[in-house]
Amino acid sequence: MLAGYIEGLSMVFQFGTLLAIAGGTLLGIIMGVLPGLTSAMAIALLLPVTFGMPPVMGIGMLLGALCGAGVSGSIPAILLNIPGTPSSVATTFDGYPMAQKGEAGRALGLAIVASFVGGVASMIILSLLAPPIAEFALRFGAAEYFSLSIFGLVIIASVAGKSLLKGLIAGLIGFFASTIGTDPIVGVDRFTFGQLSLLTGINILPALIGLFAISQILKNAFEYDPAEKITAGRHKIDLARPRFVETFRNWRALLAGIGSGSVVGPVPGAGGSIASLVAYDQARRFSKHPEKFGTGHSAGIVSVESANNALLGGALIPTLALGIPGEAATAVLLGGLMIQGITPGPMLFADQSGTIYGIFLAYLVANFAMLLIMCLGIKVFVKVLMVPRKQLLAAIVVFCFIGVYAVDGDVFNIYLMLAFGVLGYFLNRYGFGTAPVILGLILGPIAESNLRRGLQTFQGDWTPFFTRPLSVIFLGVALLLLVATLWQNYRTSKKEKERKMIHDENGMERHTS
Amino acid sequence: MKKSIVSIATAFTVLAAASAMAEYPEKNIEVIVPFSAGGGNDTFVRALQPLLEEKLDTDIVVRNIAGGGGAVGLTRAVASDPDGYTLAAASNALQTLEAMGNVAFTSEDFDFIAKVLEEPYVVAVSGDSEFDSLEAMVTAAQEGRSVQVGVSGVGSSAHIAAVAFSDAADVEFNIIPYPGGSETISAAMGGHVDGVVLGGAELRSPLQSGRLKALGMSYEERSDSLPDVPTFKEEGYDLSLTVWRGIAGPKGLPDNVKETWVSAIEEIMAEGSFQETADNLGLDIAPLYGDELDEFITTSAQIMREAAGDLAQ
Amino acid sequence: MDRDTGKPLFDIFLLVASGIGFYYATTLPSITSAGGITPAFFPKLLSGLIFVCAVPCFIRDSLEWLSQQRERDYKDEGVRGDGPKSAVAQWFFIMVLIIGYALIFERLGYLVSTTLFCFLAVLGMVVLSGEFSNMSSVEKLKSGLSYLVFSIILSSSIFFIFTALFNIPLPN
Repeated sequence: MLAGYIEGLSMVFQFGTLLAIAGGTLLGIIMGVLPGLTSAMAIALLLPVTFGMPPVMGIGMLLGALCGAGVSGSIPAILLNIPGTPSSVATTFDGYPMAQKGEAGRALGLAIVASFVGGVASMIILSLLAPPIAEFALRFGAAEYFSLSIFGLVIIASVAGKSLLKGLIAGLIGFFASTIGTDPIVGVDRFTFGQLSLLTGINILPALIGLFAISQILKNAFEYDPAEKITAGRHKIDLARPRFVETFRNWRALLAGIGSGSVVGPVPGAGGSIASLVAYDQARRFSKHPEKFGTGHSAGIVSVESANNALLGGALIPTLALGIPGEAATAVLLGGLMIQGITPGPMLFADQSGTIYGIFLAYLVANFAMLLIMCLGIKVFVKVLMVPRKQLLAAIVVFCFIGVYAVDGDVFNIYLMLAFGVLGYFLNRYGFGTAPVILGLILGPIAESNLRRGLQTFQGDWTPFFTRPLSVIFLGVALLLLVATLWQNYRTSKKEKERKMIHDENGMERHTS
Repeated sequence: MKKSIVSIATAFTVLAAASAMAEYPEKNIEVIVPFSAGGGNDTFVRALQPLLEEKLDTDIVVRNIAGGGGAVGLTRAVASDPDGYTLAAASNALQTLEAMGNVAFTSEDFDFIAKVLEEPYVVAVSGDSEFDSLEAMVTAAQEGRSVQVGVSGVGSSAHIAAVAFSDAADVEFNIIPYPGGSETISAAMGGHVDGVVLGGAELRSPLQSGRLKALGMSYEERSDSLPDVPTFKEEGYDLSLTVWRGIAGPKGLPDNVKETWVSAIEEIMAEGSFQETADNLGLDIAPLYGDELDEFITTSAQIMREAAGDLAQ
Repeated sequence: MDRDTGKPLFDIFLLVASGIGFYYATTLPSITSAGGITPAFFPKLLSGLIFVCAVPCFIRDSLEWLSQQRERDYKDEGVRGDGPKSAVAQWFFIMVLIIGYALIFERLGYLVSTTLFCFLAVLGMVVLSGEFSNMSSVEKLKSGLSYLVFSIILSSSIFFIFTALFNIPLPN
């Protein structure tokens, strides 16, 4: 193993390789900032460039893009309340409120360090535990996927606004929208109305950008008031620096993030998008101050961002150890590996060649490159907020359009984005929230298709959903969390009512006196 | 008035055709990939892109127009001008869509320039599966056991191939669609299904590591990439199918466009630099042009239609 | 713009939409695979649930709306809503402009449509918010020009980044 690492070191620490990794990271960061452009896109675009490179150099460049794009999605999420990818949805919960307090730099500083720590921790987990974790992920059959998605849907309670009922409705809307398209088991067209672009269902990205970015644009347009000037002074730019101490002070949140990123991330097809939401949910539940979450709390940012980057390491586990990519980005990466003549699978780990260690080290270097570039850029990012708001508004719309168009080259996605934008605007305005819609949209198909797939596999028998051990655990935990949430909700609403009554009485007294 | 517009239009087309005759290509060529960046089709085009650019002496713009399992991009390709500057990455998906009746076009609406790559459909089971031959699997299903076969995507070409195989073997498999190849493979590895029908390239890594074993594949003859795997025909099931990838354009491409492309692809194949990439991806190079290609397309479209007809029931 | 009238209205919208969804779900063919549930099961279940959940929301929001009406009767007529006076006009303007942008995006190509959109968006916001009317005519001309320059620079620099740097084709 040591020999392997030494061989790997000699592959990575060459000028060309380091430069390639840094270049890939920089490109990933640029693309990740733009809404709609994902790490999968960044890797796909770099793929032809890597053909002529030696394996570790080429893969390092792709890993850099993966890492960079995975992290920089937090920048627009924090500054503008616009998550570019599903995994940075949770970043907006605390990142944007903190930015609105004028502490955007602090939020970015936390996000960068938390991402870095999450990335490095996941690299260590990847290098030590990849094969057993990959085997664990294989135990997920239809029943387990279904239960996992139910567990995930309980998170709606955490991300819902004041009203649990309205949050639930929003989640159901997303779930319902996810049934549009060709039905996953028997292939019947549902609600497509002859629209070819809907055959494969509603694309997550246009929906996401509509729900968050376009709705935010409409809100900004509504509130636009030239009298309200934003000055540089309100944004404390000097706050913009990496926050090592503060990040580590939130060690619980950090652990929650790394844990859920490394455990949920490797589950193919389900992990990527929900790991950060699971982390946020866990961090909030085990926090001493759950009420501070959602108001610009540092632990919220730390948990989400550490999970965001840890899940990349997590997603690499089944990709490298089994040759099974969990989602689009690692699927493209797998293509890159195979073109280089590296066949992922248990043998890659077994034959102890320098290549696999080279890949681990390259990923580590990518994280350092990410940290360096982000730290250099942090002050520049914050200055985005000093662009006059009307120009910023127009520019964001343009970026959303291109981002949504570039991914699939289909104008229909732009219309879809606008429809979700209007829906999102009203959902936000009337207290339903948009985060549950995305959760429903992502988890809905997993829940439905696996329930139906399971019933088909078990020949109409429902019991395996309740007898398979992993499935039972997930369902049990989901139920427990649900009860806890309802209880908590009941108590806070009771307290609030009491407080309101006292307040009202005071008001009455004042009124009468 | 209308007539004159038509005649002007014709004049322009003739002019355009004439200039195309004179020199092709004289500007960037757009190749529509009807899937998102990163899929098998996309990797194929992007791997070929630098080599083609060199041979054709122009820039090739890869445009991903995804959606509807290829329907959106291919519909767009059919509707574009047949001037040779808008082409598409064609594959089985085209025939699958046609067979499933989801789209307005048929393979008749395309001019196929070349088929470049092929891979077989492979029936594979878990490495420690009780089935060690296709026959064992078919017999189990004949005895009334529910043999679960995972495929990637409902109505996908793998799904249709699985149906075609069960027709050829005259049994009922419990065919279970998964969202994609990796989910199907992990279901087989984890023992959640008895077997899978997938393209050879996707199965390359799990077959090499022995986590899955291949029982049979759909080529006419054994292939170099999977020399130990018997064909369906050898095992007594009359079915031969391939997953293919190639280049096509809308109907009516000028001859010189086709010629230019064919000679460029022929040169690339002769040089052998593409061979290694294809090997690494688990794909076989099987170029086919002209009349032979048209015949190949017609036959495979026929098989797809028949199998899809059963699926739709 | 009375902020709270929309609330019960949106609930009504949800009720109607989920009803329509349920109706369409019942028209789906009921094919099942071995022992499975039909494709219509989830759409029916979900639209039904949305309807059931939207009923109490509607009742609560309507009651709240009624009580606020009553409160307003004896309180001073305060400015409701959270935006400036021209908020609604601004909202509709941007909405319409974005839809228009979507319609011309592929037809006119990226560069023309984007430049046009940016210019109109910035100019429109300035005019509607009343910023423009406070300016002298020279200032008006100056700022109008600066918006035009901004639009051209923005759209062409993005065009360059995407086509030259990322190799992602944009409509032309």
